[in-house]
Amino acid sequence: MPTRDLTLAMIGSGGDGVVTMGEMMAQAGARDGLNVIKVEAYGPQIRGGESSCTLRMSAEPISAQGDAVDVLVVFNWADFTRFKGEVVPKADAVILYEAADPTPISEVVIPAAGKATWIPVPFIELATKATGTKAAKNIVTLGILAELFGIPPESVRKAVEFKFGKKKAGVLEANLKGFTAGREFAQALGIDVSARRLEYTVSDSKLVMTGNEACAVAALHAGCRFFAGYPITPSSEVLHFLSEWLPRAGGRIIQTEDELSALGAIIGGSFAGVKSMTSTSGPGLSLMAEMLGLASMAEVPTVILDVQRGGPSTGLPTKSEQSDLYLAVFGSHGDMPRIVLAPTDVEDCFHATVDAFNIAEETQLPVIILSDQAVGQSRRTVEKANLVHEVIDRRTPNADELADYKRYAQTPTGVSPMSVPGTKGGIYQTNGLEHDETARPASSHVMHEKMSRKRFKKLDFVEEKYPLFVHLGPEKADVGIVCWGSSKGPVEEAMRELAAGGVSVSAFVPRIIMPFPKKAFVEYMASVKTLVFLEVNFVGQLYHYLRTIVDLPAGTRVFARSGGMNLSVTEVKSRVESVLSEAGAREEVTA
Amino acid sequence: MSSVVETPALPRFQPGDYKSDLKPVWCAGCGDFGVVSAMYRAMAELQLEPWNTVVVSGIGCSSRLPGYVEAYGFNSVHGRALPIATGIKVAKPELNVVAVGGDGDGLAIGGNHFLHASRRNLDICYVLMDNEIYGLTKGQAAPTTPTGDKTKSTYFGNPEPSVDPCELAMSFGATWVARGFSGDMKSLVDLMVAGMSHHGFAFLNVMSPCVTWRGDDQFKVMKAKLRTLPEGYDRSSRAAAFPYMREKEILTTGVLYEVHEPSLLDRLEGQRTKAMQGYEGLTTEQVLKVFNPPF
Repeated sequence: MPTRDLTLAMIGSGGDGVVTMGEMMAQAGARDGLNVIKVEAYGPQIRGGESSCTLRMSAEPISAQGDAVDVLVVFNWADFTRFKGEVVPKADAVILYEAADPTPISEVVIPAAGKATWIPVPFIELATKATGTKAAKNIVTLGILAELFGIPPESVRKAVEFKFGKKKAGVLEANLKGFTAGREFAQALGIDVSARRLEYTVSDSKLVMTGNEACAVAALHAGCRFFAGYPITPSSEVLHFLSEWLPRAGGRIIQTEDELSALGAIIGGSFAGVKSMTSTSGPGLSLMAEMLGLASMAEVPTVILDVQRGGPSTGLPTKSEQSDLYLAVFGSHGDMPRIVLAPTDVEDCFHATVDAFNIAEETQLPVIILSDQAVGQSRRTVEKANLVHEVIDRRTPNADELADYKRYAQTPTGVSPMSVPGTKGGIYQTNGLEHDETARPASSHVMHEKMSRKRFKKLDFVEEKYPLFVHLGPEKADVGIVCWGSSKGPVEEAMRELAAGGVSVSAFVPRIIMPFPKKAFVEYMASVKTLVFLEVNFVGQLYHYLRTIVDLPAGTRVFARSGGMNLSVTEVKSRVESVLSEAGAREEVTA
Repeated sequence: MSSVVETPALPRFQPGDYKSDLKPVWCAGCGDFGVVSAMYRAMAELQLEPWNTVVVSGIGCSSRLPGYVEAYGFNSVHGRALPIATGIKVAKPELNVVAVGGDGDGLAIGGNHFLHASRRNLDICYVLMDNEIYGLTKGQAAPTTPTGDKTKSTYFGNPEPSVDPCELAMSFGATWVARGFSGDMKSLVDLMVAGMSHHGFAFLNVMSPCVTWRGDDQFKVMKAKLRTLPEGYDRSSRAAAFPYMREKEILTTGVLYEVHEPSLLDRLEGQRTKAMQGYEGLTTEQVLKVFNPPF
């Protein structure tokens, strides 16, 4: 029986072309209309060092990478051991490895792969013979994988042609020879791996993008025309993409000297009337804390993307964690309203970013998008038709409002008409000091209370209009999972498997953290017997934050652990099963 | 500076038109009164449209200045006038942007931004009111406080060497550097007009006495030290400017350094114009094409 869902992992050293190979296969899959998720992992080295690329291709909808791989390609066992626990083959996986690897195969132990099919492949020899250089071994591998596992061979061949078509004469021919050599090698193997052969019908091609790219495109879509940023892993791709596309769109972009300058600059840009954004990661958001307060106090619409990584301090720069929630929700001195959104996947990065601009413009508040590395840097297929989102622009004061202009006029929603420089009659001098309706500094406790109330009132509007969340699974369930950000993917995958096994499980995934969709959540809590928090941070930041908002039911379980490894499908399943077995045990005792 | 309208027979804007009706919080005799008055006059001389002009500051006594100018204003947070001003100017180049602040604000907490705004040759005029002390926090040592001076935070005398803001600006890459004195109104107005008209980053350090924390004498002492640049001074030469840096016994005012180089906006606009070619009316649909499998 062929399969409709295949996960491959490739591991090698810098120069082995593992990442290129993964990218070519992902593009080939997308061209054929498959659903693809690709994740790369690297060692801490700037160049060279070990790298891995895991690619899931499916004819069915998929939500996450999946834990165990069907096909493992190892160019070098020494590199494989560096990804211990991160790349795990299935028990009956097909493992292709370099026949000439200095590590004797007798020393390779993969307990999980007890029934695996082991295939030694002379990758280097095949590449050298066919192309004259061992550098082409990834192309040889593409040929082998295409042949053995039905990975769109025609499309992969096109990918090779595209990759090398513009190189100097002979390069393409050599690589095509390598590709064919790989296919011929696979044909001659005579090993039956048909259970791993991908079977699908070609459909409309899909886009391939990362969460960070989706955020960048969404910024352009939302009308962002000024961006200021400081490089930081894992969010720099937003800066990179916009440095090319923002000027083309007629916008302007600068790289600032630090993150507080970045947020300062976009506060300036937005004050001047231009939709503005910055992107960063946790260490940058820490620096931005003072400017967040300014944006909130001066009521300047701003959009801040935080692609979370492991923290605190420098932490785990290249790996995902969901530990900036406290900073995003509570960071800054004083009482300061802000909005926090949490996209759940690549496509949602697009929507969250447009929502962020819309909410910022509607409420004149800083809006933080809490993405994470697992969402931001994973590359996956997206349907273009889904990338549509209404854009809301800033309301500028009308003639009546300008006649007696008050920048911070009290209004029912707390949102006051915001004039921009260039507007006659709209002149005001804003500040980070407490101020009265006309923006003049005012330090009376009465005014401070009044203006604090005005600023916080804006959150009510957002809570009412943007109760953003996803409810997965049945309306009523025994176990109700609460998770956020990139964890939605593995939870959704695990729920499919659990539901297939008859387990009654649902999930509540907030897409907005501040203000929290409280009403929906209260209803959700009533729909499940046991509430289970799954968080990729050590202290359970979402759980503790929610305790400040709602009364959580007794017996609520919290599974929180540090990041560095994304939430896995197996982990979700085992957590749910453990909760169910405990609940079962409790019932027995009571009976 | 852009948006400078041609001067009609009768000026449209008088200095008083730039004065807001907010009463300054400054102490009687504060040097900053001279600076804001000079600013009204300079703006009137340049006929800057108030609604196309933004005055930006950080925090400190002098950073209250934007509130006293009838133009758009932004009194931001400590040390961050230049990042805010950078965003305003880059996002909306047609606006006239003036940044103001004190020595602590610009040279201590905001020192890094001073370096980079200078280096970028950002098209703004930055007026630093230098009183050699932290006034708003009531008398602590600043980066410009002379070594040995007793202040509230240096009970036994300031143990640190001081800096000359003009020397910093020049070495950071500012293309127009001048020193003025708040008690010399005529020269100060001329310097502000020249600074606001300069194409690129114009840095004007105004010695602006603090009568409260530096004593009534500071004004007299500064006035006695005043000198002007000699005839034939070559302001395009860094070497010529150096003897006028780190002065102790005298205080030389005037334009110490001026060169003409492409500004940040010149460079950005050049790139942008080129980048936009062939992408007029760019749509999301077009951008998304990048993510189509390329074959």
